[in-house]
Formats: sequence, structure tokens, C-alpha cells
Amino acid sequence: MLRVKDLHAKVEEQEILKGVDLEVRAGEVHAVMGPNGSGKSTLAQVLAGKEDYEVTAGSLELDGEDLQEMAPEERAHAGLFLAFQYPVEIPGVGNSYFLKAAVNANRKARGEAELDAMDFLKLLRERAGLVEVDEALLRRPVNEGFSGGEKKRNEILQMAVLEPRLAVLDETDSGLDIDALKTVAAGVNALRAENRAFVVITHYQRLLNYIVPDHVHVLLDGRIVRSGGSELAHELEEKGYGGFDGARAEA
Amino acid sequence: MTSGADTRTGPYLELFAGRGAGGPVGARRQQAIERFEAAGFPGSRDEEWRQTNLGPILRARPVPASGGALGEGGALPFLYPDCDRMVFVNGRYAPAASSPPEGVTAFSLADPAGAGADLLAEHLGASVDGRASCSADAGVHPFAALNTALFEDGVALGIPAGTALERPIQVLWLSAPSADAAAAEGGAPASIEVSFPRLLVVAGENSQAAVIETFAAADPAAGGYFVCPAAEFVCGAGSVVRHTRLQADAAGAFHLGFQHARVDRSAAFDSSSLAFGGALVRNDTVALLDGEGADCTLDGLYVLDGSQFTGNHMRVEHRQPHTTSHQLYKGVLDGQARSVFNGRIYVHQAAQKTDAKQTNRNLLLSKAALANSNPQLEIFADDVRCTHGSTIGRLDEEALFYLRARGIGFEEAHGMLVHAFAREVTDKATFEPLRRDLEARLFASLNGGRSNGQDG
Repeated sequence: MLRVKDLHAKVEEQEILKGVDLEVRAGEVHAVMGPNGSGKSTLAQVLAGKEDYEVTAGSLELDGEDLQEMAPEERAHAGLFLAFQYPVEIPGVGNSYFLKAAVNANRKARGEAELDAMDFLKLLRERAGLVEVDEALLRRPVNEGFSGGEKKRNEILQMAVLEPRLAVLDETDSGLDIDALKTVAAGVNALRAENRAFVVITHYQRLLNYIVPDHVHVLLDGRIVRSGGSELAHELEEKGYGGFDGARAEA
Repeated sequence: MTSGADTRTGPYLELFAGRGAGGPVGARRQQAIERFEAAGFPGSRDEEWRQTNLGPILRARPVPASGGALGEGGALPFLYPDCDRMVFVNGRYAPAASSPPEGVTAFSLADPAGAGADLLAEHLGASVDGRASCSADAGVHPFAALNTALFEDGVALGIPAGTALERPIQVLWLSAPSADAAAAEGGAPASIEVSFPRLLVVAGENSQAAVIETFAAADPAAGGYFVCPAAEFVCGAGSVVRHTRLQADAAGAFHLGFQHARVDRSAAFDSSSLAFGGALVRNDTVALLDGEGADCTLDGLYVLDGSQFTGNHMRVEHRQPHTTSHQLYKGVLDGQARSVFNGRIYVHQAAQKTDAKQTNRNLLLSKAALANSNPQLEIFADDVRCTHGSTIGRLDEEALFYLRARGIGFEEAHGMLVHAFAREVTDKATFEPLRRDLEARLFASLNGGRSNGQDG
């Protein structure tokens, strides 16, 4: 589904990604772990199409289509979803209005009939229940004044409503207490499906106790230095990232 | 500086000479023209006016708007349902299109009689032209003085004490310049049709009223006309006056407006100014909080494109203790548009416990657009709360990316964000037909303007 090959990317003349390879198949959950500054968030933003990042070499493909040729909205239409590490507050735009616009923009782009107000509301209520988002949050402007946990839940709600094929979760666990973490993880797990894949980007192993990955990758200084199964996350927890410094040479 | 010998004032003095100074306010007209003559038009070094380029107006010869006939339905597109209304075409009352409110002393200024004459004699111009109004340094407002001297027609509304009007009163000021003037579009017109709409609202004690002023052109493509309106509000103790000023003039129009409110004890004056049209537009607002507990809310929105200019010059005076004022002005500028916001809050020594807040936010959609924001606080009391904030910025790229990452296309995402910015002001309209109209105008302005903006 997702094929990243020898990806190099820079921002403001500084090279952040120095040759990332990643292959994700439908139904899989991949965890990308790494310390601060390793390039995790850059990878997420590059996948979503943030213009501040320049891809200098390598390729990004979703279902064989070159992502670099696609605007951010086209990537969404193709089924890519990024749960933001820092969800943006948008004063004046109602949360449910925004979600309806997003759902219908995607449906329209895919040649599907747009949902009317009633059908959309039904969908929204159902998914809000799934990820335990209070209906009051739906009436408020997008993320405005939301607590850290509410913002992250709102990201998962958007994912649940938009039903992406590939969801990239960028440090969705940061700033969450254990209850919120469990709720978010339950939401993700409820959406796991054969035709859907996840890339879970995280600093800590904690989230992976609740979202158990099929594959774990360690990202250090812009490269994936080691890949393995879910046991790799536990190894990281014990040894810390320092233990992988030596692996960099091998990679 | 200017002087009485200013050659530019001559044509306006001639207009006055041709009209005379009769009627119940004849003495005030005479006084106003003398003040205007003495002060002249503002020069480029006049601090209050240096950012307003009056050249295109003053180079043209003013001719009275011809009072052109308007077909029966000409005013209809601008009228709201469920309103009382008074319609003026080129500054002249159009009784056939009007349905004045009942229970209110409402009349055209051209032909006042009885109670109306008393209302005029007591209030018209009493607070506008220098006396008992601004502090000494504000001086004479030349265009307000011109309006007093030269208005043909206008409307005075006297709301009796204790009366709460159920329906808003819409006052439509429609400009329908003659074909000659419209044809002058393109270069600077040699002559411009000028009208001087005049509104007086006297709200009795504990009365409530909502007044909507609409400035529009019968032909939105018309050019070569100059509207020079003045509005006065006398808000009696405990009264609540809501005022909306919708400026939707033709693209080539000049509009220099003046409005003045005196707010008495425990009264509230709430005025929204929405500016969409015109080539050169300026609106000066003076609010005097003249009784304990007086409150004013002044909101504004300007949506500009092309080479439009709009200036908003505010002066709020806190003269008594426990007075409050809130100002929120927002601008959206595209193309090479320019705006000026001058907001002065003046807190007199007696006005302890003043609570004043002023906010001006500007959103620039193109590289060439330019917004100026000049807050000025003058505070002579020591126990007050005064805050001001002004921002001039571009669309939030992070928010734009966020929306696009959810599948919303660039154009739609852009539109959502600009609308969200502007709607903070238009959403305050509580009268549903007005709110819908503002939304439609906002939508039309923004979507018409997009083609001139950057696209990334």
C-alpha cells in the first residue's frame, strides 16, 4: 500500500531525512519509534504533503501512485490520513461543519454522492460514540480551546469519520494521560481492518501496549536503523535509543 | 495647510449659495457653511486626514445629484422584509417606496412640521458640528459641516420614551447617478454627482430601536458619484439603540461618512459598520459616553479588493464613570487595496472605572494589499481598564494545511478560513434578513476577489 524508498527530505536547507525505506501493506500496523529530532514528524509531514519540506531524493508511493505529484487534499482523497501531533485551532469554523465539508470533499473527489445533513449527523454521532468524543465538542470551533486530550480524540474522530486506507498517527500519545491513551488506542483498534493500514509514530513504547504493532522501526538521525516485530519496542524500552547507536553503521 | 481661500471649497460654497439657508435649521446651516469655509478641506499635513487621498473627489466639480427617477421596483433588491422603511434616491425622499414606522416621529427633513420641527430645532447638528462634541483638538469635521449646510433631505426618527420598536427601521440611501456621470468612468471624472444623506435618531428614555442604514447604487457598475452622509444618534438614559451601516456602494463611488452618538446614563449604543463597496470610502465615528454606565459597541468589517481604499476613524470618549466601550474592526484586503484604522479612546479625568477595549485585525490576501492600524489611547483617569490590540497578517498556513490534509481543496479551505475570520463581525447581526444579506455579500465579495489574490 505505502512504499517509501530512499527518502531524503530537507527543511530550510537542513537535511532531516537521509534515506528512509518503509513498506506498509494493507492490514498492517507499523510503529516508527525514535528520539526527538530523529525525523519522525518530518516523515509524517512529508507523507501528508506539507510544503515546507522539500523531498530531495527517493520516492513515495501510495497504491503505486506517486504522492509527490499530489496536493495534500489529493492525498486525502486517495485515502491518506495524518493525525497531527499538534492539531491546529481554527476559530470560526465549527467542528461538525468542518467534518461535513471534509467528508463531502472526499466523497465528491471519489465520485460518490455527498452526504446530506441527516446522514452526516448519523455518521458523526455513531463515530463520536466510538471514540468517546463529547457532542459538545462537535459544536465548538475546530480544536479551539480544546484540552490536549480533546484535540487528540478529535483527530481520532476525524479518522473514524473519514475512514482512510492509510492512517499516520504522529505522536498521538504525547500529552495524553493513561485514560485518554486507552480511549485513543481503543478507537484505533476499532478501526483496524484488512484493507486499512496504520503507521504509528511515537517516542515511547507505552502506546504500543495498547496498539500492538506488526512491525516496529527505529528511526535515528533520518534513517531507519533497525526493523523488527513488536518485541523490538520492548527492547527499546529497556535499552533506550542509545543502544541503537551502533546499529546505525549497519543500516 | 488650508485656508478660506482654498480654491477647492469654491464649488461647494456655490452649492450652498444656490440653496439658501431657510427652514428650522437655517441658522445651523449658515453656521456650518461658515465653519466649513473657515476650515477648508483638510490638507496633506492634517494628521487626521493625511492617509486619506481626497484628490479624486476634490478635483471633480460637484453637481447636485439629479434626484433621478427610479422605477417602482428600483429599491426592491435592497429592502428587507419585516421592516419599516424609508427610501431615499440621490438624497431625496421617495415616499412611494417608503413605509414609515408607526408610533415614531418619522419624517423627511425636507418638510418638517409640528413635533418634527421641534425635534430638529433641538437636536439636528447640535452635537455634530463642533459645539459640545469632541474635545477642542478634534476641530471642525469638514464633511459633517458640509452635510449640515447642504443636505436636501433626510430622515429624523424620534422614538418616544419607554417605547420598544418591534421591527427594525431600514433607511435606504440609493444612488442612481445620471448616465453622464456613469460614462465618466475610467479617468477622473470632471464632475461628480454629490448627495448629503442626513439621519437623526433621538431615542427617548428607556426606548429601544434598531436602525439599518443601507448605502447602495441602483447600478452596481455606476461610477462618478459622491455620497457624503452624516448620522446623529442621541441615546437617552436607559435607551438601547442598535445601528447597522451597510455600505455597498458602486465600485467607482466616493463615500465620506460621519456618524456621531451621544450616549446618556445607562444607555447602550451598538453600531456595526460593514463596508463592501466604493473606490474611496471613509467613515468617521464619534461616540460620547456622556452618562454613568453608558455603553457602546462599535463593530466593523471591511472587505476590499482591487484598488479600493477604506478608512475607519474612531473616537470614543469616556466622559463619565463606569462607562464601557468595545470596538472590534476586521478587514480583509486583496489586490492592491488599502485600509486605515485610526482608533482613539479618550478617557476624561472624571471617567473612573472606564472599561474600554479596542481590537483591529486585518487579513491580507495579497502581497500588494496594505493595512494601517493606529490605536491611540489618551487616558486622564487613573482607575481604568483600557486594552487595545491590532494585528495585520496573512492567512494561517498551518490551518490551511490542516484543512487540505483532510481533503478540503485549496479554494474551499481558503474560503472557509477567510469567512471564519470575517463572520465574527457579520454573525453579530441578530435580524435574520440582514444577517443573510451580509453573509451573501461577504460570500460575493470574497469570491469575486479571489481571482486577484495570490493562489498559493
